[in-house]
Amino acid sequence: MTALAPVLTMLALLSQQPVAPTPEVVGAARGEDWLGYNIRQSFELGVRTMGVDGDRDKYRSDVNYRNGLRLLSSKLDMQSREGDGKLFDRLSLSTLGLGNDPYQFASFTVEKNSIYRYDLAWRENAYFNPAVAIADGRHRLDTTRRLQDHALTLFPGRNFQVFGGYSRNSQSGPGLTTYNLFDQHRGDVATLLADVRRQQNEYRLGGEAKFAGFKLIVVRNWEFFKDDTRDFADTATPGEDPTDGTTLTRLSRAQPNHGSSPGWRTNLFTERTKRFAVNARLTWVAGRRNFVFDETAIGTDRFGNGRNRQTIVVGDARRPVLAANATVSVFPTESLTIANHTSFTQTRIEGESRFAEFNNSLAGINFTSFEFLGIRMISNSTDAQYQLGPKASVHGGYHFSERRIRSIQDEIFTEQTNRLNAGALGFRLRPFAGFSIHVDGELGRANNPFYPTSEKNYHGLSSRVQYKRRALTLGAQAKSNYNFNSVSLFAHSARARSYSVDGSWQARDWLGFDANYSKQHLDTLTGIAFFYQGILSENERSWYVSNVHTFFGGVRASIRKRVDLYAAHSYVKDAGGPSRPNVLSYFRDFQSLPFVFQAPMFRISIPVTRDLRWNAGYQFYKYGGPVADGYRAHTAYVSLLWSF
Amino acid sequence: MRLASGAFLLSACLFAAGEYAGSDRCRACHPDITSTFFRNAHAKKILGGKEDVTGADLSRRGCESCHGPGKAHVDAKGGKTNIIAFSQLTAAKTLDQCLACHTQQFPRSNIRRSPHTTGEVGCSSCHSIHNLARQRLEQSQLARLSASIPAVSSPAAVAHSARGSLALGQPELCYGCHQNVRAQFSMPFKHRVNEGFMQCTDCHNPHGVSAPTWRMAARPRMVDQALINEEACLKCHVAQRGPFAFEHAATRVDGCESCHTPHGSANARLLKRPAVFTLCLECHNGAPGFGRDPSVGVPIQSPSHSMTNPRYQNCTACHVRIHGSNADARFLR
Repeated sequence: MTALAPVLTMLALLSQQPVAPTPEVVGAARGEDWLGYNIRQSFELGVRTMGVDGDRDKYRSDVNYRNGLRLLSSKLDMQSREGDGKLFDRLSLSTLGLGNDPYQFASFTVEKNSIYRYDLAWRENAYFNPAVAIADGRHRLDTTRRLQDHALTLFPGRNFQVFGGYSRNSQSGPGLTTYNLFDQHRGDVATLLADVRRQQNEYRLGGEAKFAGFKLIVVRNWEFFKDDTRDFADTATPGEDPTDGTTLTRLSRAQPNHGSSPGWRTNLFTERTKRFAVNARLTWVAGRRNFVFDETAIGTDRFGNGRNRQTIVVGDARRPVLAANATVSVFPTESLTIANHTSFTQTRIEGESRFAEFNNSLAGINFTSFEFLGIRMISNSTDAQYQLGPKASVHGGYHFSERRIRSIQDEIFTEQTNRLNAGALGFRLRPFAGFSIHVDGELGRANNPFYPTSEKNYHGLSSRVQYKRRALTLGAQAKSNYNFNSVSLFAHSARARSYSVDGSWQARDWLGFDANYSKQHLDTLTGIAFFYQGILSENERSWYVSNVHTFFGGVRASIRKRVDLYAAHSYVKDAGGPSRPNVLSYFRDFQSLPFVFQAPMFRISIPVTRDLRWNAGYQFYKYGGPVADGYRAHTAYVSLLWSF
Repeated sequence: MRLASGAFLLSACLFAAGEYAGSDRCRACHPDITSTFFRNAHAKKILGGKEDVTGADLSRRGCESCHGPGKAHVDAKGGKTNIIAFSQLTAAKTLDQCLACHTQQFPRSNIRRSPHTTGEVGCSSCHSIHNLARQRLEQSQLARLSASIPAVSSPAAVAHSARGSLALGQPELCYGCHQNVRAQFSMPFKHRVNEGFMQCTDCHNPHGVSAPTWRMAARPRMVDQALINEEACLKCHVAQRGPFAFEHAATRVDGCESCHTPHGSANARLLKRPAVFTLCLECHNGAPGFGRDPSVGVPIQSPSHSMTNPRYQNCTACHVRIHGSNADARFLR
């Protein structure tokens, strides 16, 4: 094990992000043998430092590493050599960033061959978002999201298996939100504090059985959700607009939203011969949320008149979703595969709610309202692939779907039907060893897109060329996706293109290079209408251009097989686009968002003893753009990696 | 010991059949593989007693259950033409070989129609049975990096890759072909994939999925579904799941991508536009033929909203419940 330490550390050095831990990789075949188990273990303990000059909020949003001591990573792997462990045959534990990193991860697996297997994944993300461009930064969030998944399988790999699982997803922490005061159309906006508290728990129980060439899977799941977020303002707050008399003296709002989504899923599969396979799937989930909205707001309206308003809403919302799919795959010859897929989905969003509002102690309105939305969709697609030989293959497909949407909005019932026809075609070539060409195209026509920006007349084309030969890998890719959606007065076109080239060269045993460059272009032109001082303006266009250039280059070296070095540079730039004076003349500044985001890095790893290595890394971040003020951040870490 | 005895019995039976050589013979020339095979997921078949080493079906045991009869290979002292060598197989043939055992699993139930499959990206394009990511890391640390590895990786990625017998950890494996996605995850606002907090497979199923229940069921073709029939985004963003008394139909009909760019964006909250109002106005323009009521189009904003006033350009400052509300049809609270 100790003999692996230099190698492992070299790997760690090369593969890690400087501000992330050094991912010591547990040895594959060696390690220490103990009681029939092969054991490998490692710990990396380190200290992070950081300094930020400029917009600290933006740094926290983009990077968010902070000072302090961390268990940067750890790994434990125990594997039974003969499969005769008493309690388990395999136990594996790995962690990342424990201590206070913004991204923490732990996974645990324990398994006894053919008897049981248990998997756990735990994640925590310190999420900070100043949302500068959203509501002038008054929707910021400083929350912690925790995710955990447990899965237990009994008799894994056998003809009859039972499995259960549990998942939890929670988000909590402070935030800000805004509130439109007392007048829906001209009302002022005040900032509220928010105490975010959301949690979802999901339980799963199921089994699968093989019989007579079929496999049947049945899973029952129960999802429970609760949102107890509270918004409040304890002190008098003037509105955003200083020219009117709106103030908020006090606000208290509780809006608990609790519910469940029980569901079933079944899957039946057979591939009894080498000529066909059938897969059928049926799922049903009944989502339901019970909600209460209780709000008391006291203040003055824009004319300075005293206002107090109490609003109470109670109700429940239901959304049963049924989805059924069937896939039939046919293999008429060894070279030809045809797969036909049919799907049916039905979603109904319905429920009941009661709304009561009291303004200045007078009952305003009291009614029941709910907006029904029903979506039924049927689709069928056929895909075929034909192998022309070892060096070439072609594939194609046709897709048809029909969607019916029924809606009740403002007590008006409407119904519409949308249809889509799409076709795809592509081929693969391998003219000689190591060289491959991939080309794919897709064309779609929708008769009635739901939104002006939805896909209507679209086509996509992608191609990739790759050459792999020993120590050299070269690749290039081009991809385009165009969508045109137009009606008589308005038009929408979106043109997205991306190009990338990448290469990797292992020049010597101790020296290697990696580099890639990507350009992503997006150009959208959309007809918009808006009011300008009460006058409707219909002839404007929203034109957005983004030209993102991304470059990454890295050099890795091992000096005399002892000192491992790695240097790299990441560069992202949105060059924006040229100004078009006749387009969206009022809002020209919003036609693009140029910025530069770059992050050069350097790492070093030096052996101290056979089991111990000293690591250090530094990364500099620089962001500059029009929305945020920009920042420059220096981040670094020093760590000791102990493998035994 | 059990493995050894099983292999012995196996080899005895196989020689009797005249075509199979038995896994013991493989050890002589492939010690690099067999000495670490106890770590391999396929070793469970033998170690767990799932392989009937005394049964009659010789084709489903040990090395030869995947590589086919090996006696000719042994007799010829090696070669790739006298045995099933996966490096020589087309993607379709490799798939057939692997699906002999792996087809009947829920996550792979749509593999026959997966864009990866039709695009001839076969099992061995991503999976390496004898050369798992963590093993490969040790065997040739620099050579491994020649496979276009980005600057970032994490133990999480390595652990995950080992679980799926991947040749390289996520996201490096996926970036190998999807270079444009690497660029997207390098943007200032992004999901934390490069940091190891998330995996590509948290949202995508590379083995193929059933038709999506949003948009027009045609695209996207590799996005897994939450609670089986919802967008993958709702696996984590559960507060947006609803149902709500007043739904923003965009999220339910056309999906989250109506407004958001999921991989990464220059814009806050992964929005498609740097300013919120341009995003909203592109749909809310009153053009007939669209929206829940095509006769009137997607509602245009109130005449009281003078859009040149910066106050009205922050749509979500007032319409705070933009994903759906239980208290207000205009998503004001």
